[in-house]
Amino acid sequence: MTLPHAPLLTTQQLTRRYAGLVAVDHVDLVVPQGGVHAVIGPNGAGKTTLFNLLSGLVTPSEGRISFAGADITAQSAHRRAGLGIARTFQNIRIFGAMTVLENVLTGLHPRLRSSLGAVIFRLPSFRAEERDAVAGARAALDLVGLSARAADPASSLAYGDQRRLEIARAMAQNPKLLLLDEPAAGMNPAETVALGELVRRIASAHTTILLVEHDMGFVMRLSDSVTVLNFGRQIFTGTPGAVRSEPAVVEAYLGARLAAKLQAHHG
Amino acid sequence: MSIPPWLDDLLWTYQNLIHAMGVNGLLALSMYVVLAIGQLSLGQAAFMGLGAYSSALMTLKLKLPFFVVLPASVAAPVLVALLIGVPTLRLSGVYLAIATIGLGEVLRAVYLNVDVFGGALGLNGIPERAETWMIFGILAAGITGLWLVGRSGVGRAMEAMREDPTAAAVMGVNVPRYHLAALVTSAILAGLAGALSAHVSSFIGPNEYGFEPAVTILSFALLGGIGTPIAAVAGAWFLTLLPELMRDLPQVRLTLNGVIIVLAVLFLPRGLLGWRMGRKAA
Ligand SMILES: Nc1ncnc2c1ncn2[C@@H]1O[C@H](COP(=O)(O)OP(=O)(O)OP(=O)(O)O)[C@@H](O)[C@H]1O
Ligand SMILES: [Mg+2]
Repeated sequence: MTLPHAPLLTTQQLTRRYAGLVAVDHVDLVVPQGGVHAVIGPNGAGKTTLFNLLSGLVTPSEGRISFAGADITAQSAHRRAGLGIARTFQNIRIFGAMTVLENVLTGLHPRLRSSLGAVIFRLPSFRAEERDAVAGARAALDLVGLSARAADPASSLAYGDQRRLEIARAMAQNPKLLLLDEPAAGMNPAETVALGELVRRIASAHTTILLVEHDMGFVMRLSDSVTVLNFGRQIFTGTPGAVRSEPAVVEAYLGARLAAKLQAHHG
Repeated sequence: MSIPPWLDDLLWTYQNLIHAMGVNGLLALSMYVVLAIGQLSLGQAAFMGLGAYSSALMTLKLKLPFFVVLPASVAAPVLVALLIGVPTLRLSGVYLAIATIGLGEVLRAVYLNVDVFGGALGLNGIPERAETWMIFGILAAGITGLWLVGRSGVGRAMEAMREDPTAAAVMGVNVPRYHLAALVTSAILAGLAGALSAHVSSFIGPNEYGFEPAVTILSFALLGGIGTPIAAVAGAWFLTLLPELMRDLPQVRLTLNGVIIVLAVLFLPRGLLGWRMGRKAA
């Protein structure tokens, strides 16, 4: 059971090591119920690894994850999807050969209950379930504005549309927590503005958003709280207003920029 | 039901070929089920052998009637599929391929060295109890069943897994469970094919279910395609009929299968019938 003010997701000392580096280093994340919460940090800070840990694609080296009042550290990725954790990918991972609608329908997979017999004999229960699934998928496509493309192969969509398709597919899961990994990457300014509006519409009491994004304007406009990672360590958590004046954060970003500059000179 | 005399003649003349088309069609379906979820198994011939030997023994030694033997012939292949499938579930697909290659060789050694399997001579005098209508009835049921399942949420999950198993898992698809279900289904289809072929050919031997037939079965599905079950069956029929048409050119025949496989993989990556399963949005 979740208390009204209990956080939706918490991690305790969450850690992931790779040979020679600690990608996520003893992170204690607290994601409250509702709203948009950002995770920022320089390249290689461990943001995607954190998302992989939360969605069950990577197993922690140490630490625990609780979601909606239950410890999910040992749960597999597909179980977590069923529990209400959905995500998009920094490197788009749509099912390119399937149609746009079929992609979104995969998001409804955990809710399909028909037995094999009902499927093979096309029983009314199966037909009704498929009709509901298609209606749900169409609603998700409406939400992101891709209804007109429902029957097209997903690979035929433009880059920004593929990102929106990933959001629709994740929203079809009716998630409690939606992890967006750099949703604005590769989008033009107009698309980014539309995406911001979409994120605002999606964020609700039911769906909490955890957002990784390099576009700082986007993050500052949308987020209720910001967590900053640097070399896997959590160096700040607070409001978007406070993050700018935090010396450790400024240093992390300046340090990263300096390093990039040096590399450009020497490389 | 009376069959017109000309059809009866035709069936009689080409009986072996017609049976081979039915049995190979079932084997192609068995291959399709695994490839359609993005796995690779080379155990189809081994599963077929298990179905063939276990059914032949039930007929010869236990004197069971065929309507009992045929369904019971799936037991041994399914058991072995579970024994191989469960440990390789959480490993990458390569392990299944390797484990199933090994399976064929292990079973061949068992057939050769355990008395009840008849050693190198195999099992002889199996009564011809499988009828043409049984073979094609089961094939038709297999195609229809897999088609209907393919056009449902299960089929979407299968295609999603084939494209990107990680993304499919994030959508809530229980990927290991699908792997096991596909392997078991595939073992059932191959086991039935084995039992049917044993009961039309009267003889089975230890060398019929090794690596070479496994590759031939793989080539059925590669040539036909894995977008739909019927495509894989069409590939099997093509590769079953073609050698018949080339009877007078035995040298060409030998290399033909190999050439076809290479050409198909290079130029027809989706197979001869490469289209995907139509899933009309309701
Ligand atoms: N599978 C892996 N094996 C080894 N190292 C890895 C692996 N995955 C990530 N890393 C390393 O972990 C660190 C964190 O990577 P991660 O992708 O989480 O960073 P990020 O914050 O998402 O970066 P970006 O902003 O560039 O997307 C990097 O140094 C990366 O090279
Ligand atoms: Mg990243």
